[in-house]
Amino acid sequence: MDERPASLPLKLGALVMFAFLLAPLIVVVPISFSGDAYMMFPPSSWSTKWYPAIFADGKMAAAFWTSLVLATVVTVLSLAIALPAAFALVRLKPPGAEALSSFFTAPLLLPTIVLGLAILIVFARLGLLATFPGLVAAHLVVTLPYALRVLATALSTLPIAVEEAAATLGASPFTVFRRITLPMMKSGLVGTTALCFLVSFDEVVLSLFMTGPRIQTLPVAMYHHVEQQADPLVAALSVLLVALTLIVVLVVDRTSGLAKTFVK
Amino acid sequence: MSAGAAIALPAPAPRERGRGVAPIVALLAPIALINAVGFLAPVLNLARMSFYEVEPTGAMREVYTLATWAKVFSDGYYAGLIFDSITVSLGITLLTLLCSYPIALYLHRSSGTWRTILLVLVISPLLTSAVVRTYGWIAILAENGLVNNALATLGLAKLKLMFNATGVTIGLTEILMPYMILALLAGFGRLDPRVEEAAATLGAPPFTIFRRIILPLTLPGIALGCLLCFVLAVSSFITPKLLGGGRVFLLATEIYDEAIVTLNWPLAATLSILVLIIFGGALMLYSRALRAIL
Amino acid sequence: MSEQGFLSIRGLTKRYAAFTAVEDLDLDVPRGELVAFLGPSGCGKTTSLRMIAGLVPATSGRIVVDGKDLTEVPTHRRDMGLVFQSYALFPHMSIARNVAFGLEMRKVPKDEIARRVKEAIALVHLTGKEEHRPTQLSGGQQQRVALARALVVRPSILLLDEPLSNLDAKLRDEMRNEIREIQQRLGITAIFVTHDQGEALTMCDKVVVMNQGRLEQLGTPVDLYERPRTAFVASFVGRTNRLASVAKDGSVEIAGQRIAAPAGLSGPVEVMIRPHRIAFAPAGEGVPGTIAKAVFAGDILQYDVEVAGQILSVELATRGGETVLSPGTAVGLSWRPQDVFVYGAAA
Repeated sequence: MDERPASLPLKLGALVMFAFLLAPLIVVVPISFSGDAYMMFPPSSWSTKWYPAIFADGKMAAAFWTSLVLATVVTVLSLAIALPAAFALVRLKPPGAEALSSFFTAPLLLPTIVLGLAILIVFARLGLLATFPGLVAAHLVVTLPYALRVLATALSTLPIAVEEAAATLGASPFTVFRRITLPMMKSGLVGTTALCFLVSFDEVVLSLFMTGPRIQTLPVAMYHHVEQQADPLVAALSVLLVALTLIVVLVVDRTSGLAKTFVK
Repeated sequence: MSAGAAIALPAPAPRERGRGVAPIVALLAPIALINAVGFLAPVLNLARMSFYEVEPTGAMREVYTLATWAKVFSDGYYAGLIFDSITVSLGITLLTLLCSYPIALYLHRSSGTWRTILLVLVISPLLTSAVVRTYGWIAILAENGLVNNALATLGLAKLKLMFNATGVTIGLTEILMPYMILALLAGFGRLDPRVEEAAATLGAPPFTIFRRIILPLTLPGIALGCLLCFVLAVSSFITPKLLGGGRVFLLATEIYDEAIVTLNWPLAATLSILVLIIFGGALMLYSRALRAIL
Repeated sequence: MSEQGFLSIRGLTKRYAAFTAVEDLDLDVPRGELVAFLGPSGCGKTTSLRMIAGLVPATSGRIVVDGKDLTEVPTHRRDMGLVFQSYALFPHMSIARNVAFGLEMRKVPKDEIARRVKEAIALVHLTGKEEHRPTQLSGGQQQRVALARALVVRPSILLLDEPLSNLDAKLRDEMRNEIREIQQRLGITAIFVTHDQGEALTMCDKVVVMNQGRLEQLGTPVDLYERPRTAFVASFVGRTNRLASVAKDGSVEIAGQRIAAPAGLSGPVEVMIRPHRIAFAPAGEGVPGTIAKAVFAGDILQYDVEVAGQILSVELATRGGETVLSPGTAVGLSWRPQDVFVYGAAA
């Protein structure tokens, strides 16, 4: 009832800073409806031509599909690999579980520019550069730690008594996992799926090292496009990506709670 | 995208039955494989590569030499690069802290649906591609962008806000804000509204409460946020590349250029290791600061 | 208007969007008295205290201390000491720094701060713990620090918000005596918020009983117990039997007995008698009833007695040698007229 209310200076400060934080996301909306051939703000005329232009641009459309398929494959693989690993670490508790989980999440501590370079050098020798499997492997290096972290937390907060109750009622360990554990982990699974998908779909640094003329992801294509010319095409694309992010964030909030997933 | 990561593993229920090692190995094998091929081997290889010899033609030979390291430490260009990277990153970290603190404190004070909405507004930018957000900043800072056209309308002179350190600083500050806000928020747990009220009943005016109670109690969160943002600033390169327009030279952009354009991998590897050394230094400062605070 | 107290509250009201937390509270507290705000949770007692401290702005009404109107004065200039339910110690400061904080705010010279902090810590028996952090102390010790921190500034009024509710039973009794003893020794005016009638009755000079944002009764512990003004006070302070009846022609019938009803009361009423004010009458006399249940609780014998279709709880102090009457035994009950309270029943 008696929460300490925010004072007026704090409200004002927060308002200004929120405006600053959201400015680049908001400004792309009007620009995406620009009728100009190049980026300027405010636009001198209005049009919706940039949205169809995304798909008319063969390179962008191809990059978009590459990213979509890539993110989907990476997400599915992340869940398939991280879930057994989380189960093994949390439930079977092998000796050195702490050290192992630190090792498995270590790639997050490495700056992506260093990781990207390191992977580039090794993958070049393995012939994985600018290939789809190479991109999948590189993305997995960064999505798996996130997946493992969220799933391990979800798994460790489940009440074990419920699983034990199922076992006493005659369920085999696998049935317990499938019928009891997995459904109770729903929010963790949704959070993991959302996080892995967005991380892979938005990943740009690793992809920059890994892609070439043969294969490009959307963020890489956008990066190269902006480097050449900052026209409203990118604004239209940005609006679509921001909308996609917002949808995912809201889905996560509805199912597992934002604060729980992102604020420890 | 590299938030500090560590899994808290609470003690599980005791297992009476002994279990074989085989299932554990089977369950952990895939993640271990990815980690070995995509992380461990590449990083070890990177450290080794920094000692490879580069011939004047640019070709690389698998002969060990300290030439690259010597070059990095003797050439004033690289010393300047390191110095610039550290100072610009420190400035960005400080700005990010100043911009994020009011939001974090306000978020901490809010509750219910309103808090959820604000949290969505903080997290959405975090999950939006850095390319998109940098593009947004180009639209704001460019010669024909929002700020300069507004200035022109007011009859004022246009400012050069892009293709220099100013643009990189503004853009990176905003891009790193969500990390700082979340780190601060996680550290605000010790901030009990009753404690602030206690200070007020003892005669502390609002600013004194902030200085003597709120600030000291939130120092651990501040330290964590600063570490995170500094580390991310030193290693970021999309924003410096696009907003700097090739005219702002930092460690991360140099690594990319050496790796992709010049193809001098030993030099890129050496600079990468340097970035990691800077990380280590930051981490040491952080744990020292934390010890002093607690 | 009655004589103004050292603390004088007039028409104090707090309205939130959906409900009224405190309604039109009038109160005068003489200098040096310990007054309890007693009531169930949500009755408005804590909100009243927080308004007095300035932590919650009042919707209307005035708060005057020693002739000074404090209604618009911010918390930090009210010069009151507040002991929080959760203690609210500064976790990043030592015990000594916690206690010194209020003195530092008042720009007291350093050597005097050191002296007074030492005295205050001695007063609450924590000498030797000066350099400890709050988390290193037990709940009871933290409570003492909170008390010392509030007292060291010599506040005009000491406010205590459920200070004992987080302590275990034994410690609670100990702190209860200690707080009372210190309050009387320093002669400080104090307000004590509690939901525990035992604390209110045993510690305080006067008790304010609150319910649903309103003051039900203000009086000494004896007043409240022996002359409860409302049905709520009668049932909240001490235990009581509640019987439904009807008032007619100036009297009320219970269990075949007629007793005088308060003037002007007619229609449905609630009749209350405290269990230990009922006695067994000699054989054949009194109100006839039947034992329904008997419990021997050591110091007392508790009976449920069925009287004219209603159950009355009766408590008898044991002296040794009583036989415990078994269910089904016929008994006669008696009580003094002044022990029966009659109130109009709530609609």
